[in-house]
Amino acid sequence: MTSLDPAPNKTWELSLYELQRKPQEVITDSTEIAVSPRSLHSELMCPICLDMLKKTMTTKECLHRFCSDCIVTALRSGNKECPTCRKKLVSKRSLRADPNFDLLISKIYPSREEYEAIQEKVMAKFNQTQSQQALVNSINEGIKLQSQNRPQRFRTKGGGGGGGGGGGNGNGAANVAAPPAPRAPTAVGRNASNQLHVHDTASNDSNSNTNSIDRENRDPGHSGTSAASAITSASNAAPSSSANSGASTSATRMQVDDASNPPSMRSTPSPVPSNSSSSKPKRAMSVLTSERSEESESDSQMDCRTEGDSNIDTEGEGNGELGINDEIELVFKPHPTEMSADNQLIRALKENCVRYIKTTANATVDHLSKYLAMRLTLDLGADLPEACRVLNFCIYVAPQPQQLVILNGNQTLHQVNDKFWKVNKPMEMYYSWKKT
Amino acid sequence: MAQNISPEQSGAGGGGTKHSDDSMPVKDNHAVSKRLHKELMNLMMANERDISAFPDGENIFKWVGTIAGPRNTVYSGQTYRLSLDFPNSYPYAAPVVKFLTSCFHPNVDLQGAICLDILKDKWSALYDVRTILLSIQSLLGEPNNESPLNAQAAMMWNDQKEYKKYLDAFYEKHKDT
Repeated sequence: MTSLDPAPNKTWELSLYELQRKPQEVITDSTEIAVSPRSLHSELMCPICLDMLKKTMTTKECLHRFCSDCIVTALRSGNKECPTCRKKLVSKRSLRADPNFDLLISKIYPSREEYEAIQEKVMAKFNQTQSQQALVNSINEGIKLQSQNRPQRFRTKGGGGGGGGGGGNGNGAANVAAPPAPRAPTAVGRNASNQLHVHDTASNDSNSNTNSIDRENRDPGHSGTSAASAITSASNAAPSSSANSGASTSATRMQVDDASNPPSMRSTPSPVPSNSSSSKPKRAMSVLTSERSEESESDSQMDCRTEGDSNIDTEGEGNGELGINDEIELVFKPHPTEMSADNQLIRALKENCVRYIKTTANATVDHLSKYLAMRLTLDLGADLPEACRVLNFCIYVAPQPQQLVILNGNQTLHQVNDKFWKVNKPMEMYYSWKKT
Repeated sequence: MAQNISPEQSGAGGGGTKHSDDSMPVKDNHAVSKRLHKELMNLMMANERDISAFPDGENIFKWVGTIAGPRNTVYSGQTYRLSLDFPNSYPYAAPVVKFLTSCFHPNVDLQGAICLDILKDKWSALYDVRTILLSIQSLLGEPNNESPLNAQAAMMWNDQKEYKKYLDAFYEKHKDT
């Protein structure tokens, strides 16, 4: 490491570089120089906390800058030297406040509080992908929302014939016939009996939850049990006739037999299942959607923060997080023209036609359309217009407003996201009938 | 100027000290995990070829890192796993870094402890996971034989050919464990 002079020489000798260098000309005309945010950031960043400088202190001899709190703590807890270059710093008197630099920062980032709030949220979100507590919250949240929505849905009559469809899966779904559950088996039987299995028991759900927790948390043993118990307790509280049904609706899972690695899907008809929003009032979905269609396409990344809790982006850090948690969030809407408001299905679905989905990034577009077919059948039950019985969908993504690209069935959502949707917010996708 | 500023600064600092001593764990933990998260993000953006690190499970204060043996040294071609334990006082205090993979090296003992000045008295708050791992990587190729933890390795170091031969045998032996 750098060796330091034991006794600082007070006759400020200039280094070779300092002797040679020419001062830079002051820019007096209207010349503009573009500086990338990244390089700017490294200038304005405190190297100790890696945050933007706060109450800048500059070392008097070597002119290195730190937050006041950071450098004070560093001097108190460590060697009496500049953390950057190891120049001796005898005490706080070797530092001076640098109000000009603070002013400079406030000029460049006038709304610093906002910036910090965004950072906090990003961090909180980052934490959540790791925290199982948050996962449990999220599950509870989903259960609550589902149980609120449940009364609006229509039930099909008794589950007698349904057992065959759902019971055939290898998981021994013992309580497929539990009161509200039969919706699922009937739907499955009618619609997609060969491809889809709905796990409708609490125990199965806890199993599949454990899987998804594994993926998210890398801490299988522990989290699985607590998440499972969360489901049970929350579903007991839910106003439903059977404890199982609460859990089952909340986490209806779809598995596709022919996929070797079946992706699990979690769907809540609610604003993006963001955990931090638990205490906030939920905006009605339709409101959120209409807002989106108006503003989201403007696509300035900073706009995101007005839309919802989890839509925050860091300054251009892109999709980094996708790689971390391998989950992807989608907003799934009817095709604006193909599926206009007078469409039978849309009329039946009303505001339920927009879906918020969080699923694994390796799910394919085909999975999505199968999921959609099943989900819509489930939601509508007997209300489903006869003509809509055969549900076949085309899936689109909108890389730009008004520009819908039809997607190939075997692409994974990850690929779609990479190819078409580069911003770090829930991917917007559209569905329409498949014309046969 | 300093004369004018100093009292205010020290006043603020003093007040802060008293306060933060009371609520030290909570406040500090947040700042520490924030910094660790930033490091993680930076590390993932940086795309380093020879080193990598990631939190070990849910605890952001425990990481596992890997370094590739430096090229053109006897360690070339090897991969080492290390554990990093961050104290609550990070980054003002160094993390505890240990080799998880057994490493035959003059400055690494058989339990994996590392003798490296920047992890002890030469620590600076500016070091981070990346620079720590890079430092350890370069330590592999340039041991400090003056203060060996593994005297045998230090003695053998001068004869690189022999050393390499011994090293290969060493890893052959430790492959199973």
